[in-house]
Amino acid sequence: MDRALRRRIEARFGEVLTGPVRQRHDETELRLAPGDVTTVMRALHDEPDLRFRFLADLCGVDTGLVMQVVYHLWSDSTPDWLRVIADGLPRDDPRVPSVTFLWKGAEWMEREAYDMFGITFEGNRDLRRIYMPPDYTSFPLRKDFYLADDAARSPGAGVRHMERTHAPRNATKTSLLRHAKGA
Amino acid sequence: MTATIPGRRHASEDDPRVILEEQVGVFEPVPPFPPRTEREAEFYTLGDGEMFLNMGPQHPSTHGVLRVVLKINGEVVTDLDPVLGYLHRGVEKLCENADYHQAICYLDPLEYVSSLFCEWPAVMAFEKLLDVEVPRRAEYIRVLSGELLRVASHALFMGWMALDLGGLTPILWSFIERDEIVEMLGSLTGARMLFNYYRIGGVNGDLNHEFMSRLGDWMTRATEQHEANVRLLNENEIFVRRMRGLGQVDRETALRMCMTGPNLRAAGVPFDVRRSHPYSVYPELDFDIPTRDEGDCLARYLLRLDEVKQSLRIIDQCLHQMPDGPVIAKLPRLLRPRPGRSYAAVESPRGQYAIYGISDGTDQPFRMRIHDPSFVHLQSVGLLMPGHLIADTMAVMASLDPIMGGVDK
Repeated sequence: MDRALRRRIEARFGEVLTGPVRQRHDETELRLAPGDVTTVMRALHDEPDLRFRFLADLCGVDTGLVMQVVYHLWSDSTPDWLRVIADGLPRDDPRVPSVTFLWKGAEWMEREAYDMFGITFEGNRDLRRIYMPPDYTSFPLRKDFYLADDAARSPGAGVRHMERTHAPRNATKTSLLRHAKGA
Repeated sequence: MTATIPGRRHASEDDPRVILEEQVGVFEPVPPFPPRTEREAEFYTLGDGEMFLNMGPQHPSTHGVLRVVLKINGEVVTDLDPVLGYLHRGVEKLCENADYHQAICYLDPLEYVSSLFCEWPAVMAFEKLLDVEVPRRAEYIRVLSGELLRVASHALFMGWMALDLGGLTPILWSFIERDEIVEMLGSLTGARMLFNYYRIGGVNGDLNHEFMSRLGDWMTRATEQHEANVRLLNENEIFVRRMRGLGQVDRETALRMCMTGPNLRAAGVPFDVRRSHPYSVYPELDFDIPTRDEGDCLARYLLRLDEVKQSLRIIDQCLHQMPDGPVIAKLPRLLRPRPGRSYAAVESPRGQYAIYGISDGTDQPFRMRIHDPSFVHLQSVGLLMPGHLIADTMAVMASLDPIMGGVDK
C-alpha cells in the first residue's frame, strides 16, 4: 500500500472523487463519476508526479444495480496498481467517454466492454461487436443474462453442488423425490 | 466452409419455435449490412485500385481461427480489419457460474501453449481476496514450472515464426524441445497441456522424483540445445533480411497501443511485471530484463531468445534455493472471500496476463475479468501492417505471437 499515492490523489482529485480512496494489498482504488473520466485520466497520464503511462486493463462491470467501467493503470512512480472506477452508469443507457485519445490500444477493450455489457464509449471510432455476431442483440455478461444451459433445466438447478445436503450415493428416497419434482 | 456471416433466418415449418439460418456458402469480405461505425465505413470503402482479400478463418498462418479482411492495393496491404469471435466460449461468464476452485480450470485453455500463466494470476487474485499466505516452497515451484513453460512457449514461437515465413525445419526442432518440457511438466502435474496445477494457496502436489530426474537431465543440455536451435535461424540471411525493419513500432506507439511483454520490450520499454510490479519470489531471484530498441519483427524474435536464457538462469536458481515445507496452504474446500476487489498480473510469455476478480461474499466470483495480452497485441497488427506486402502479414502476426484461445476467450 502506497500511502503517499493516496495523499497525492486525494489532494489532486479530491473534489471529483465520489468515494473514499481505498487501499488493499498492492492496489489503490478511486471512484469517480463517468463525466470526469476524461480530465482525470488525462491528468493521471500526463502529470509528471503521477505518470500513469501504462493502461494495464479496461473492463466493464455490472453490479446488478449500476454499470461500472474499471481501468487499471501502472506507473513507475508507485509500487501500486491504480484502479480507477467510473461508477454509477445507469443500466438502461450506460455511457462513458472513451480513453482512446490517450491509449489507442483501449479500442478493442472498449469494444469488448460494449459487446459484453452494452456500455457506450463516446469517442471510440470503432464501437461494434467484437466477439458476438453482428446481429446479436443481448449483452451476455450482464447480470440479468442467464446461462441457458442444460443445468438450468435439471433437477439440480439453483442448487450449488457443494452445498447439497447429501452426496448422491447417500441420497435418501425423499431427497431424490424432492429433486425429481424440481422443488 | 461454414458460414460465419449470418444468413437470413426464418422459423422452421415443423416447429415454429426453431429458427433456421440459411447457409451462406461463399465468404464475402464485405459484410451484408450497412456499416455500424465510422471506422467500419471507412474500411469498407474502396479507394482507387484497391480490393478486399479475405484471409481465414481457416488459414494456417492465423494461429487458430482468426479472420482478417485485408484491403490491398496490388500486393501492398493498405489496411486490415481482424474479425474475432470464432473461438469465443464466454469463459468470463462460465467463471461467474463456477466456484473459486472450478473457475481456475476454465482458464487453462485460454493460452493453451502456456496454460500455467492463465492459472497463475487467477490464483493470485483469489489469494489476495482471501488474504492467504502462500508457502514459500509453493511459490518456488510456481516460478520453476512457470519458467519451464516460458522456455517451451518461446521455443514454439521460434518454430511458428519460421513456419509462417516458409521454413519447415525449426518447428520440428522446437517441438522436440517443447515436448521434453511438456512431458516433464506432465510428470509433475499429471497433464501435458492443460495442467490445472496451481491451486488457491499453493500448488497441487510436490515435486516428484520423475520430474526432478527429467529436469536434471534436461538442464545439462538445455543451453546447448537452445544454442543449436538459435543457430538454425539467426544465421539464415534470408530470414534475418526479411525480418529486419518489418512491422516497426516505436516506444511511444507501443505504450499507446497498450502492448506488454516481449513486444513492448523489443520497442525499448523495460516493462516486465516480474520487475516493475514484483510478485511471487521474483524479487529474490537474479535475472535481467533484456530490451531492444529497434521494435521490428527481428527485435521481437531475438528478444524472446534472450528471454529463454534468463529463464534458464531463473530455473537454475530455483533449484538451488528451493526451500522445504508444505506446498499448499490449509484452506476450506468451500471458499467465501470477503466482498472486495483484487487485481493480479503475471508476466506470461506473451505479456501481462491479468485477472481482476470481484467477490460478493458468496462462493462464486461475482465478476472475473481476464486480461489477455494476445488480444491487445492483435489489434496493433492493424497499425503495423499498412505499407507491407500481403505475405508479410503472417510474419508480423507471428512476431506478435498471439494465441487465439486467449484472444477470443
